[in-house]
Amino acid sequence: MKNDLLWVEKYRPKKIEDIVGNEEAKALFVEWLRSKRRSKKAVLLYGPPGVGKTALINAASKEFGFIVIEMNASDTRSEKAINKVAAPATSYVALDNFSTRSNGNVLFLDEVDGIAGNEDRGGVGAIIKIVEDSLVPVIMAANDPDIDKLRPLKKVCLLVRFQHVRIPLIIALLQKICLLEHIKAEFEALERIAQNSRGDVRSAINDLQSLSEENHVLTLQDTMGLSSRNKDISMDETLRGFFSVKSMADAQKLLSYSSVDYDDFLLSVSDNLPKRFTNPGELAAAYDYVSRADMYRGRIGTENWHLLKYFFNEMAQAAAVAPQSYKPFELISPPIRIITLFWTKGKRSMLDGICGKIGAQCHVSHAIAKQDFVPFIKEMLQKKNAAARIAEWFNFTSEEIDFLVKMNKY
Amino acid sequence: MVAVLNKKGFKLPRVEKEKFISLMHLGLDYNREQGLFSVKSCNNIEKLMDTIGSILNAEVVFLQTCTRCGKDFPCSNCKYNELCTSKDLPFSCVCPQCLQDRKQYEEYLMKF
Repeated sequence: MKNDLLWVEKYRPKKIEDIVGNEEAKALFVEWLRSKRRSKKAVLLYGPPGVGKTALINAASKEFGFIVIEMNASDTRSEKAINKVAAPATSYVALDNFSTRSNGNVLFLDEVDGIAGNEDRGGVGAIIKIVEDSLVPVIMAANDPDIDKLRPLKKVCLLVRFQHVRIPLIIALLQKICLLEHIKAEFEALERIAQNSRGDVRSAINDLQSLSEENHVLTLQDTMGLSSRNKDISMDETLRGFFSVKSMADAQKLLSYSSVDYDDFLLSVSDNLPKRFTNPGELAAAYDYVSRADMYRGRIGTENWHLLKYFFNEMAQAAAVAPQSYKPFELISPPIRIITLFWTKGKRSMLDGICGKIGAQCHVSHAIAKQDFVPFIKEMLQKKNAAARIAEWFNFTSEEIDFLVKMNKY
Repeated sequence: MVAVLNKKGFKLPRVEKEKFISLMHLGLDYNREQGLFSVKSCNNIEKLMDTIGSILNAEVVFLQTCTRCGKDFPCSNCKYNELCTSKDLPFSCVCPQCLQDRKQYEEYLMKF
């Protein structure tokens, strides 16, 4: 990229008035944040991605002198983790509060709808407790607030809904950026970018940057390629293009236009590399780049998208290790890991059911049942005199007995 | 029939107590002195519009406020009407005249 700084970063709103659209939501949130006597201690901003929720929180906190203590989706948000970070941040009023520059802390929990699974166990309950006891404002953001898990959380929060940013407002923002970047853009070109963004300001700015930073003129013709971004380029197409590129630049361009899931793409590339690079030295070099790309993917998580260029860069280097050695080959797709998970889904749910029964009878967890009990029960079931009694005690079905006896791996 | 309302203040016929409370819960505010309703929260805006529509017995559309010139205008004048996901809702926008007028836009930018 010509200019290393992404425009979404460069033009990240610094003041509340810089945020485009959702004026009513902005006003509601600002009123809540400024208020000394808040009717609710927490606020939940919700709405589609790229409409300015996080930007508003950062800009407003800065404007009103709050220090933001943030926990986002890339952090584990179990009860323990939340209590470790959020409890100290919300149980004391900082000494900063008495200075003229700062109003103290605000706790910001981004993407609370992403709190799920075993890793985040007890997270929602812990947040509610924090909100009830907190001495500082608690701000949360979510894309989908309607998931069941968030229902108790919504009761203790002021809800602020964000909508897709309207097309004229996005066009106006793009006009402003064009003016500041000295880009001569046709109105129709900006119109097309705004329409393609579907209300997502971030993607509109990214599109504008990718289309106009080479030459400072943007015509409607230049935006014709945009349709391919919204068109689903299949994984197969992307993989074929990726493995047959002639240069790093080609690979980067392909990746920026493709809309494949990056995690699936990484797994597929990893599966196919030995087929693409038959020379061990080339294969090792390519895997090295892919492993670095994987590291960046982990750091990107769900919100650090400014690191995406490094992910693309590493992937592009992997693709361009030896462009001259390319020979067409049969692709492995979808990724082996996902195929395996798909094929073993039935078996895994059967084992889960068995572990549940063992757990209930022996008062142990699923994990302990699977690890410590299943191997012995399998052995016992093979002994004819004991099998019937054991099966009856655990209430195993004939299918479950059959599964346990025949299973090789668990 | 279409009822065009301005979110900053509009009149409604007298409603029952329960209906009034429900309107307040859905996000309306009432100014006793002026006897005008206004939209305070847009969290349940679709439901609110349905309720107002049932009171007025008409399809309800709200005027938009232009962020540049401050004028109120209806969505029916906008050419992106069909693509808009928040059509006729009481939000801010840029009116078609301001959007096309580059000179006015540059003047607007100079304010910042």
